[in-house]
This record gives sequence, C-alpha cells and structure tokens, in this order.
Amino acid sequence: MTPLGPGPTVLGVRGITKRFGGLNVFEDISFDVDRGEVLGLIGPNGAGKTSTINVISGMLPPSAGRVVLDSQDITGKPLHVVSRLGVVRSFQQTNTFRGVTVEENLHRASRFGAGADNGLGVEELLEEFGLARHLHEASEKLPYGLQKMLGLVMVLYSRPHFLLLDEPAAGLERRERTQVDRFVDHASRHLGCGVLMVEHDMDLVKRLCPRILVLEAGRLLAEGPPEDVLSRQHVIDAYLGVVEEEQAC
Amino acid sequence: MIPNRRRDFRLDCSALLLLLPLLAVSFVTAEPLFQSLTQQVAIAVCATMGIYVMLRLGLLSFAVPAFMAIGGYAAAMLAKTGSANLLLLMAASAVVPALVAVPIGLLVLRLKGIYFVFVTFIFNEILQLLIFEAPGLTGGSNGIAGIPAATIWGLDLESASAVTAVTVAICMVATVLSLVVTQRFRAEFSAIEENETLAESLGVALWKYRTIGFITSAAVAGLAGLALVNMLSTAHPSSFSTWSVNSYIAYVFIGGRGTMLGVLVGSVLLIVLTTAFSGYAQYSAGMFGVLLIFVMMVAPSGIVGAFIRLWDRDGSPRARTAGQRMGEA
Repeated sequence: MTPLGPGPTVLGVRGITKRFGGLNVFEDISFDVDRGEVLGLIGPNGAGKTSTINVISGMLPPSAGRVVLDSQDITGKPLHVVSRLGVVRSFQQTNTFRGVTVEENLHRASRFGAGADNGLGVEELLEEFGLARHLHEASEKLPYGLQKMLGLVMVLYSRPHFLLLDEPAAGLERRERTQVDRFVDHASRHLGCGVLMVEHDMDLVKRLCPRILVLEAGRLLAEGPPEDVLSRQHVIDAYLGVVEEEQAC
Repeated sequence: MIPNRRRDFRLDCSALLLLLPLLAVSFVTAEPLFQSLTQQVAIAVCATMGIYVMLRLGLLSFAVPAFMAIGGYAAAMLAKTGSANLLLLMAASAVVPALVAVPIGLLVLRLKGIYFVFVTFIFNEILQLLIFEAPGLTGGSNGIAGIPAATIWGLDLESASAVTAVTVAICMVATVLSLVVTQRFRAEFSAIEENETLAESLGVALWKYRTIGFITSAAVAGLAGLALVNMLSTAHPSSFSTWSVNSYIAYVFIGGRGTMLGVLVGSVLLIVLTTAFSGYAQYSAGMFGVLLIFVMMVAPSGIVGAFIRLWDRDGSPRARTAGQRMGEA
C-alpha cells in the first residue's frame, strides 16, 4: 500500500476532442494511465499537448469525449473538483503564490490539499532540492529552477493519485533536470501516482517513460516504448525533424 | 515586504481595540462635535469594512452603498412596525442584505477587475431607481422619516450619547464579523487574490470563498446602513448615493488596504480632515482624489503599509540582529 492509500486505479481518456470555433485543437484522443505508470506525451509545439492537460484537469471542457477515473465520469468537472478527486496538474511556467514565503506557499498547499505530510515525503524532497534553506524567503525571489521545483512539490500536498505534468523540465539547466527525475520517481514509485508528462527533453523522456504517446497536429500519431516509437520514420519526420531544425537555428 | 500572518492578525485586532476609546466618547463628553465625529467615523469604518473584505479577495466592490441601503431600509421598515429592539434591527440589517447578496453574487462573482467594478457600480444605480419607483414600500423620494430610536432591554437609546454608543457598537459588531471571516479564510482569500488558477488547481473552490466574501461584505455594509439610518432617524435614498462609495474606497486605500488597522486610520484621518476643512466642503471630493493619487504614488500600500515597511527595514528582529552583527564586526 502506498502512503496515499486506496484510490482509483486508472485514469482513462476516451475519445476527447477540443475545438475552438472552427479550429480543431485535437481530435478523438484516447489513452489510459495506470497508477504507478509514467506516460510521456510528446509532440511538436502546437500539437495540443497542453490543451490535453487543460481538458483532463478540468480547466477546459472537451467538445466531445469523456475522461474517467475507473468508472467515474469526471468529464467537464471544474478544476478544483478534479483536483480533489486526485487528478492534479502542474504548470509550464513557474507557478507559486508570489509575494509570500516558501513556507507560506507550502502551508497553503497542505491546507487546500488533504492536510499534513503523512508519509508524502515532502520534507525529504525539500531538503534534496535545496528548498529547505529558503523557507523564509519570498517565493518569487528564488532562482527559476527552485521556483519550478517548489511548484511541483506543492502539488504533492493534494495527495494526487494522478499527476499531469506540463513540461516540468522546461527552463531548467541540465544539471537541475535530475531533480525532475527524482520528483517523478518519488511520485510514481514511492507514492504510486500515475504520471502523464508532457516534455520536450527527449533524454528525460527516455529515462523516465517506459511508454510514450506522440501527438501531432491534434492527432495521436504513435504509441509505445520510446526507443521503438522514436525510431519510426513518420515520427521522426513529424517531430524530431522539427526539433533538429530548431536546434540548428 | 513579506506578509506576516501573526503580525497582520495583531494589526487587525488592534483596529478592534482602538474602537473601544470611541465607545468611551459617548460617556465622557457631551460635546456635539465629538459625538458627531465619533458617529461619522464609526459609520465610515463599518461601511469601509465592506470594501476591505472584498479587497482581501482582490475585488473592488462598488456595491457597498446598495447593501447599506438594503440594510438601512430593512431596519427602518422593521422599526416602523414597532419592533425597534437593537438586536433585532442588527439582525435584520445584516441578514437581509446577505440574502440579497446570494443571487447577485451568482451573477457578478464570475467577473473580475474592471468588469466587476462596473457591474457592482451599476447595481447601486439600479437600487436607487427601485427605491424611487416603490414609494409604497420605501417612501420613494421622501424616504422613511420619523424612525423611532433603537431600544434595548426597555431602554430608549434616544439621546445623542446613546446614539453614539449604538453607532460604535454596531461598528464593532461589523468589525468582529469582518475580522472573523478574513482571518478564518485568510489563506484561501489571499491565494485567490494572488493566483486563482494555482489556488483552484490545488483544490480551492473559488466560487465558495468569493460568495462567503460577498455575503460578509453585504452584511457588514447593511450594518453600516442601520447605523446611518439610526443616527439620522430617517432612511433616505440620498444617504446611499452611488458616489458615497468613493469616500469609503479613499479611506481604505489611504489608510492601507492590507490590514483592518488601515481602514480605521484612513477613516479617522479623512473624516477629521474633512471636518477641519469643512469651510471648503465643495472641494472635498477633489482633495480626496489628489490625496489618493499622492498616496498611491508615494506609499501604494497606504499609511499603515508604509509604517510596516519602515518597521521591516529598521526594527524587525532580523534587521536588528544583522545590524548588531555588523556592529560587532
């Protein structure tokens, strides 16, 4: 039994579609995330990755399709309700309560979530990430990397069964990215969370995700283990080609 | 300046304690000027608390005069029927606006920023129209006059000093209500003010806390309406004009919107100034405007906020030990 206790075992996405007026952001996407699994979601910019997280987390209602927790339909439930049900997201940019201390940020996260640490292992992570030394500083004064890790650690206080991480490593220096490894490992192995991770850092994705989905122009292009999927020609054409061009610039 | 939970709580409580000397005014002096000043300050503090509570959620509510009118008229109608018991009047003047705030809140609490300001502003105008258009109920443009003084335990609270005591007592009840709500839900309110998306993603139901704030603001404003009606023995639409909200907003921003002490400081200062320069009353709106701009530029967190900043720089334990260490070296 994990420290989070019993909860739903599968987060299911069933044929979700999101349209803004005539614009299809993504169409008919289905996949499952199991507890303890780390599922990568990759794709070029504008493929609809962040929108997928927005729809699953309840920030945006889908135009069609359903999101289920085991057999419970959570489609279109508001963000705070989905969060209470154990599906919690992180944000691409640093996202903390600005102007208050790191300690107050953590206090609020635990108050809004399910309360005390109770085996979550938050203290341990704070120590490892170097946040414990900054408890009495204003959160927005921290270096970017620490702000981002603070945002991730705060999410744990919601006692999530499923985590939706939107580019957790974006903007971090290479040596800081191992902290993302540590965080995801802690969440999936120690706490038994299912993790859906949108990420551009292919090395990180290969290290952390036994299975990945490739999203391109709003459609699921491929699914499978990273080394297999990333060697398929159409995936390389659609995605990695673009990345190499970007890097060449 | 990093907000400090315990310090802000103390400053909020000090506002409540500082109302006690106002209560004493009614017993130690019969001087009409002091009585009148005290009554004005108490009503202003009470009404401004309605603004303050919503500011804790990051919303500037212009609906305070409307809720004052609803509370004031509710109390006036009740007193006219012969039940002028102060506790009953207070209950009516708080509960009726609070009930009205529920459906209004459902409509307006989705809005933010300038849109919220706009709609709450319009609400005042609509209510003014309703008051004029329902003379059977509200007395129309004549208002409701000759309201009997409040009573308690068989005592008629009719004399000037009794009215002062009643006004301050109502203000204290409103202050306690504001204190309890803003302190109890402080974490949620501040989180919504600072970053509502993050708060919601961590499980905070925004609508719930916005509604709690709005209802509290309406109840507090309603109490201010009762205090005003009781002081004038009249409920009249002109007492609750839309523009009166400008003064309350000036009080809280100039005093300091971060703590309840700011509400008290701003109200006392500006009302004393207005009275002192009453010969130039026609300029008072302009002077409030100039003062507001000046404070926003020099000390955006108001007078109390500026003092907290100075204290943080010079007098806080951390700054002091750092200074000592430097001295030793």
